[in-house]
Amino acid sequence: MDVMEQTPIVIEPLEPGKETPVTRQRKARLRQFRVQLLFLLPALVIFTAFVIYPILASLYYSLTDWDGLAPTPHFVGLVNFQQFVSDPTVFINLRNTLVFAGGVMVLQNGIALLLALILDGFLRRFSFLRVLFLLPAMFSGLAIGYTWSYIYSPVFGFLNTFLGRIGLASWQQDWLGNPHLTLASLIFTNSWEFMGLSMVVFLAGLQAVPAELYEAADIDGTSGWQRFRHITFPLIAPAVTINVLLTLIGSMKVFDLILVMTNGGPGNASESLALRIYNEAFTQNQFGYATAIGIVMSLLILGLSMLNLRLLRKREVEL
Amino acid sequence: MQVPVLSRKSATQMHPVVLVSKSLALLIVLFWSALVIVPLIVLLSVALKSPTDLLNNPLGWPAQFLWSNFADAWNNAALGQALVNSVLITSITLLGLIVCGAMAAYPLARFTGSWSQRTYLYFVAGLIVPLQLGLFPLYKEMHDLGFINTYHGVILLYIAINLPFVIFLYTGFIKTVPRELEEAALLDGAGPMQTFWMIVFPLLRPVTATVAITSALSVWNDFFIPLIFLQRDGMQTLPLAIYNFVGQFNDNWSLIFASVIISSLPLIVLFLILQRYFIKGIAAGALRG
Repeated sequence: MDVMEQTPIVIEPLEPGKETPVTRQRKARLRQFRVQLLFLLPALVIFTAFVIYPILASLYYSLTDWDGLAPTPHFVGLVNFQQFVSDPTVFINLRNTLVFAGGVMVLQNGIALLLALILDGFLRRFSFLRVLFLLPAMFSGLAIGYTWSYIYSPVFGFLNTFLGRIGLASWQQDWLGNPHLTLASLIFTNSWEFMGLSMVVFLAGLQAVPAELYEAADIDGTSGWQRFRHITFPLIAPAVTINVLLTLIGSMKVFDLILVMTNGGPGNASESLALRIYNEAFTQNQFGYATAIGIVMSLLILGLSMLNLRLLRKREVEL
Repeated sequence: MQVPVLSRKSATQMHPVVLVSKSLALLIVLFWSALVIVPLIVLLSVALKSPTDLLNNPLGWPAQFLWSNFADAWNNAALGQALVNSVLITSITLLGLIVCGAMAAYPLARFTGSWSQRTYLYFVAGLIVPLQLGLFPLYKEMHDLGFINTYHGVILLYIAINLPFVIFLYTGFIKTVPRELEEAALLDGAGPMQTFWMIVFPLLRPVTATVAITSALSVWNDFFIPLIFLQRDGMQTLPLAIYNFVGQFNDNWSLIFASVIISSLPLIVLFLILQRYFIKGIAAGALRG
């Protein structure tokens, strides 16, 4: 904040007559540049200091044996990345992260698109439904994590008790304790929390589709599915792209939900990369290695985002 | 939301296929509504039960409403102090974000030179990069600056992390605001700063509301940054206070849920007030990207 107060506002008086038009123009441009800089300075300083600098520095720290305590970390070259390649659990973390992200991407967007189509249709006037469906996204991951931990808990949990009461006792499961089910349970909870956000984006896309197109389709006598396939879906392709991208990026970074609900367990059946990074750094003091995992994770997110963007944008153009 | 309503056939002459698909659609909406409402009711009803009531009657409504759970949670988890911390950190972060973000977006929206385009991309690139990437150098930086366990350290960090989205929203909006008013003010001899705050900023009220609710959501509910940078007793925000509380009383669901409700309520109320701006902001933000 001090930055703003310290920066003086520089407005030089123009001295017409003494200058050629070229220098005057140059001076005016310089002044305009200074004014722009003045507006940008607080944001630039804060953003560079706390986002950009740490990212650049992490490239260096990933090549050191830094333990978070030693004042001068030693340069160790690619040792941390070699450790990554020969670390069997990190591949489990990687697999968990990809399964989780893929599951959320499909489930959350699938439900969101279905509900958006319905709410944009004959239920359009019931706008309180959008507010209701957004409500879970207003809670913290922590709050949602605790609520669903209770619902899923094996003996006294809401879900198993409910299943027992309606005569489906055979469906009862240890939803978070069974290593084959735990990721699915987490995927559902995450999708449940954030479905409303994806739905709102789809709804905005749907509302931008001009009504004349549907009227023309009605006259041509197309079926509902044909209408969706050939009119609605191509026109909401930008919404699909952004939703796929947002759910992917968001769920690759998943941390608090998993920390609270399973803490990575049972074993490491649900330990994500983000959780592993946290554990590696703050319980093992392996900051150098943790940074190396962070770099791999970020490259993965960037790579998958680019791939998605390319595939989906192509579709937007073709259709 | 002002899209013209399509001309649809009236209900009396509805085709059976249409009728079936509409009923099916209605059923899906009802099912998801129940799926959203039931866990929230579970949250509230567990928060009002006594431990024995919870054990004997896990599904039903509380035998008697134990409002004292809220008072117990409030006292045991030290939620009063945590609430003050959360309100303080969230509100100052919002103020800083609105000031820095709106100011930075103004030249980015008004000048279209390559320099300003590149600066815009520099900020917006921050939307994709995960926080975990720079976490450890950040930890060291915060440590060296003496910012760990301080309000101002965490507030600056929150401003930095949320700036990309805020600048993105403001820049998009300012581009739609006509220039005539500010040009008139500049001709009248007002400085650029004065023109911005007196003439332009008041016109940005809708997007400022969007910025406020989306940023409040991300700061209020954040757990990761306090977990790492704000561990000291008495400085913790609500999510961290609850996390530590659960560590001590991990079998008392009633108190845990009461504390979860207390911590979530302020933001739920803010959302219900500003929901129009929230929905608009999410939709506009996402589709313009």
